[in-house]
Amino acid sequence: MEISSDLVIVGTAALVAANCASIGVFLVLRQMAMMSDAISHAVLLGIVVAVFAVGGREPVPVIVGGVLSGILTVSLVELLYRSGKLRQDSSIGIIFPFLFAIGVILVTQAGNVHIDAQHVLYGSIEFAPFDVLYLDELNMGSKSLWVLGILAIANVSFIGILYKELKISTFDRSLALGVGLMPLLVHYLLMVMVATTAVVAFESVGAILVIAFFIVPASSAYLLTERLSRMLILSVSLGIVSAAAGYLFAIFADVSISGSMATISGIIFGLIWVFAPNRGLIGRWRRISKQRFEVDLGIVLTHIQNELKAERQVSTLTISNSLGWTLEYSKKLAEFVQEQKFAEMDTQGNLALTGLGLKKAENYSN
Amino acid sequence: MALEEIFSVFLGIFTDYTLRYVALGSAILGITSGALGCFTVLRKQSLFGDALAHAALPGIGFAYLFAGTKDSLLLMLGAAIFAWFGGIITLAITSTTRIKQDAALGVTLSVFFGLGIVLLTYLQSIGGASQGGLDRFLFGQAAALIESDVINLGILAAFCFAILIVFYKEFKITTFDSSFGQSLGFPIKYLNALLTSVIVVAVVIGLHTVGVVLMVSMLIAPAAAARQWTLNLKGMIILSAIFGGLSGITGSMISSTTEGMSTGPVIVVTITAILGISLLFSPRQGLFRHLRNQGKPQASLDKAKTASDKERRSHGNFQ
Repeated sequence: MEISSDLVIVGTAALVAANCASIGVFLVLRQMAMMSDAISHAVLLGIVVAVFAVGGREPVPVIVGGVLSGILTVSLVELLYRSGKLRQDSSIGIIFPFLFAIGVILVTQAGNVHIDAQHVLYGSIEFAPFDVLYLDELNMGSKSLWVLGILAIANVSFIGILYKELKISTFDRSLALGVGLMPLLVHYLLMVMVATTAVVAFESVGAILVIAFFIVPASSAYLLTERLSRMLILSVSLGIVSAAAGYLFAIFADVSISGSMATISGIIFGLIWVFAPNRGLIGRWRRISKQRFEVDLGIVLTHIQNELKAERQVSTLTISNSLGWTLEYSKKLAEFVQEQKFAEMDTQGNLALTGLGLKKAENYSN
Repeated sequence: MALEEIFSVFLGIFTDYTLRYVALGSAILGITSGALGCFTVLRKQSLFGDALAHAALPGIGFAYLFAGTKDSLLLMLGAAIFAWFGGIITLAITSTTRIKQDAALGVTLSVFFGLGIVLLTYLQSIGGASQGGLDRFLFGQAAALIESDVINLGILAAFCFAILIVFYKEFKITTFDSSFGQSLGFPIKYLNALLTSVIVVAVVIGLHTVGVVLMVSMLIAPAAAARQWTLNLKGMIILSAIFGGLSGITGSMISSTTEGMSTGPVIVVTITAILGISLLFSPRQGLFRHLRNQGKPQASLDKAKTASDKERRSHGNFQ
């Protein structure tokens, strides 16, 4: 089986992205993003210990070691903050640097681990094509593709089988508890999947950039949709797009592949943040200024009504003076009320409400 | 490692020129981050420091790219600007979208770190051998500190402490009861920005010795350890600074005796050990004490809150 090495790298990256981005949706929704940060750092210790114990980087012991250290992290964090001495975020911020630091010390001090300190941080996806799986001397193609493919099947079945449980325990924990869906078990299963995904992705993208794949596509998707199923699909697609675009950029600029994938996913997030139809910055700004205009329209109409009742004359100038608006904004509003036939302006520039405007103004003041 | 060897290394602080600067630099870092970390812990912003530290990495890359020197002051300036920027982005994400703080922190730290890695690898691909030293900012390399670096660090730390002393009362109010502070007419918004700026400076000081990856530990662990021994803010800051300084010196000493060892991980393991001892043995609320009074669990932060309330009442008003 011969696949070009570019294709192997892109395929590996796409699978890493898809695996992380699907699990990441639940992390973002359950507000556990920083727990995944902790787990993805802490798996290093498990990996290193496993490599020491077996004497090589065999996938199974490495995954088992990594998952165990992931669970150790989650339990230690919970132990610390359940003891009431530290808050949850402080516990996270203490436990994972500690475990990560031990891992780094072991890596740098033991020469024969075949991991160096930099690959710990940003992985070595560029070597994916050279790490080939042999089955009875038969070349089965890239090892990372196989491992990631199996992980993808595991993740899809995890989410598929437990979809209802995950959904309910994420959005309404007490309901899940009430109807016997065992949210605690779901929580720990999710943590195991996070740890497994983090270990497998670790080789490709390292301890920190894994978080970019867990959190960034899912957060972008969160800004685009209201439905969990759509959010999952969007998150995975955005993850794959950032992986592919990041690879192209890395080749073009001759920089770290995983770093540029994380950067691209950040750029995509930024674009969505600004331009998302409803929740984007521009949409938000439009909505806010529209609402403000609505309110100001009501203010101006009731103002005209009150002034006329008090038998004073209203012009653009008096509006701007008494309501503290700029002359321009008052003009814009005055023009708008005339366009909408709420008011008429006589030759001296004084405003008077029409029947329609009077009705509208009364609507506002009631 | 034999005990004698450790002893001779510690003696080296007084005799060996290089070792003295290594120890001094690490101590400055530990003291500053220890003292200022108290505020991040008490303000429930522990992981904010993590995002700030990671966000500083591209700043180092850009500073080197544009200035072309490894002058530590310029690199630190770049780092500080990006750390600040990362903090603002995080706050902007949480305040303008429905994304919660944890995910916003995750987005900032991973994307900025990714950008930093891109820049570092770009510098490696265009430059000669001279840029190689930049990756020491990942895990810290106190052994690379020279006299001028230490002087710069010292000036920055002194600046932080000057601000901390001048604005102590204000920081205390914004930390424990910001709405009360607001009602007294304190400019809470500016004070928060100022406090964040000093924390950014502390993070930047840490880049040399602990590196961006593990910096969060130097902000949280000393403060959390000190918190176990005292309820008084002033006492907590002083104790936390001592713990931070101690672990800085110990960590850099141990790592400098071993070849190829980054300073950051060793310092982090040391400070976590101090925290572990504090959690188990502190007289006030140690684990052993806790096991005996298991009937009435009390969250330590609630206690801190009550303590501050009590103090506020006893002081009357601040004006």
